[in-house]
Amino acid sequence: MEEPMIEISDLSFQYPQQESEALSHLNLAVAAGEWLAVIGHNGSGKSTLAKLIDGLLIPKTGTIKIAGVQLTSSTLWNIRKNIGMVFQNPDNQFVGANVEEDVAFGLENQGVPRETMIKRVEAALTDVGMWDFAQHEPARLSGGQKQRVALAGVIALQPKIIIMDEATSMLDPEGRKEIIQLIQNLNKKNGFTVISITHDIEEASLAQRVVVIDDGLLVQDDKPAKVFQRGAALIESGLDIPFSEKLKNEIRNQGIDVPQEYLTEKGMVDWLCQFISKK
Amino acid sequence: MSIHFEKVNYVYQPNTPFEHQALKNVTVSIPEGSYTAIIGHTGSGKSTLLQHLNGLLKPSSGRVTVAEKVITASTKNKELGDLRKHVGIVFQFPEAQLFEETVLKDIAFAPKNFGKTQAEAEEIAVEMANLVGLPDELLSHSPFELSGGQMRRVAIAGILAMKPEVLVLDEPTAGLDPKGRIEIMQMFEELHLQHQLTIILVTHQMDDVANYADHTIVLEKGEVIAAAAPKDIFKDPRWLVKHHLALPKATNFAYELQKTGKFSFEKMPLTEKELAAALAASLKKGGNQTE
Repeated sequence: MEEPMIEISDLSFQYPQQESEALSHLNLAVAAGEWLAVIGHNGSGKSTLAKLIDGLLIPKTGTIKIAGVQLTSSTLWNIRKNIGMVFQNPDNQFVGANVEEDVAFGLENQGVPRETMIKRVEAALTDVGMWDFAQHEPARLSGGQKQRVALAGVIALQPKIIIMDEATSMLDPEGRKEIIQLIQNLNKKNGFTVISITHDIEEASLAQRVVVIDDGLLVQDDKPAKVFQRGAALIESGLDIPFSEKLKNEIRNQGIDVPQEYLTEKGMVDWLCQFISKK
Repeated sequence: MSIHFEKVNYVYQPNTPFEHQALKNVTVSIPEGSYTAIIGHTGSGKSTLLQHLNGLLKPSSGRVTVAEKVITASTKNKELGDLRKHVGIVFQFPEAQLFEETVLKDIAFAPKNFGKTQAEAEEIAVEMANLVGLPDELLSHSPFELSGGQMRRVAIAGILAMKPEVLVLDEPTAGLDPKGRIEIMQMFEELHLQHQLTIILVTHQMDDVANYADHTIVLEKGEVIAAAAPKDIFKDPRWLVKHHLALPKATNFAYELQKTGKFSFEKMPLTEKELAAALAASLKKGGNQTE
């Protein structure tokens, strides 16, 4: 088997002055080029996991390997070059006076030569569809555009892994759609390994794999379809289920037999059409 | 206590190169006791409109009437204090405004500021903490030790402690997990139904509009382009797409089903329950007529 991009074994973490662990004995492997969604209620430990992977927090037990290299205080700086993070609030991530400068910031920090820098900034802004805005000032951009610029800043550094920590939660529906489509592209076309930490169940349903974290424990690790079959249990642990599952439950409540397996919205339309044609 | 906007214009930074007209000739009413949703694309003027509701902004021209009080460009700020007791605004991420040592003190701050004694203010604070579902043992904690959802409840209790008749909510559930979101929205509905608060909800979530609101105002580029009941707003999907607005998920799904030619809806459903009921009826009957 190919070596995983991220390999986490027996990972635990406890914040100072807290009685219980924020994460307990977590095991997880993420393959190169995979898109993994992490879901869980507020305070479940999702963001703690992201911070541990990026070496922003130091684990209590366990190890993290990124592309085969174990994360330690001496490998930290090299490992971070492989990881780009985008956070929740688009207004907290801007450092440049205009879009172009903002994307160049990380490159300047790494001492990338000017010629290369110019090319990489242009390529990154083109990838996120923001090249036309290179000279714009951040304050004039919409939330979705700001997050796209934040992503460009990450891509320009050519990481292998992109971690989105609730990066769509402050956006309006259009902005959210923009970013989700962009993640899809970056994952499929550019081959980035993507971890998206999210409350948006429709976003999670597009990932290849979903991990559910509840009170610091990894409670499920499976394909979206399998995870969403747990319907009621998901809702109990503070999560949501996709619209198609909610509708299926409501139809069942009306006394109609519905399929057990998870259906996407398209699948639901097909099933309804078949059902009514058979009558 | 109804609210009226008459020919309201608002200009940011007038007579500068940055001049920007955020509200254009807005004439609209918010009925007393209603649950009114304000929707519109980012930058449509929702936040500007909202800040006129308790005099944080005054119209550049035109007039706003709230509870018999008329606000125009020449209204003095000190005349507005009373108005702010009637209209409470919960801004986005209100937990960022918490500052006191304990939850109790934080909630009691506003009533104390409006002239209640310490004891009275604390009594109100306990009452409001109950109303928003905060357990009593949290009152002595620092608000900064609480979870995101609990911090937001403290901030909302702080607004309710002024006993407003109108509660204005600017995307009150942004950033909360699904369970927290449902709990907070149900809490507002209870305040609306049991305490007769007029609720004004600024949101991007069309499902919240469908589930909770009885009146909707649609803004675009500073102008009111529609004001009607949700069912009328969501009647015309092409109009919504043209104005960059989404449909509630159930309504969207119903339109997708209609496209197959196998289902048709006389009345477009707005919620999952309405959709499921309509579908069940036609699945049992087997015809292609859905009611």
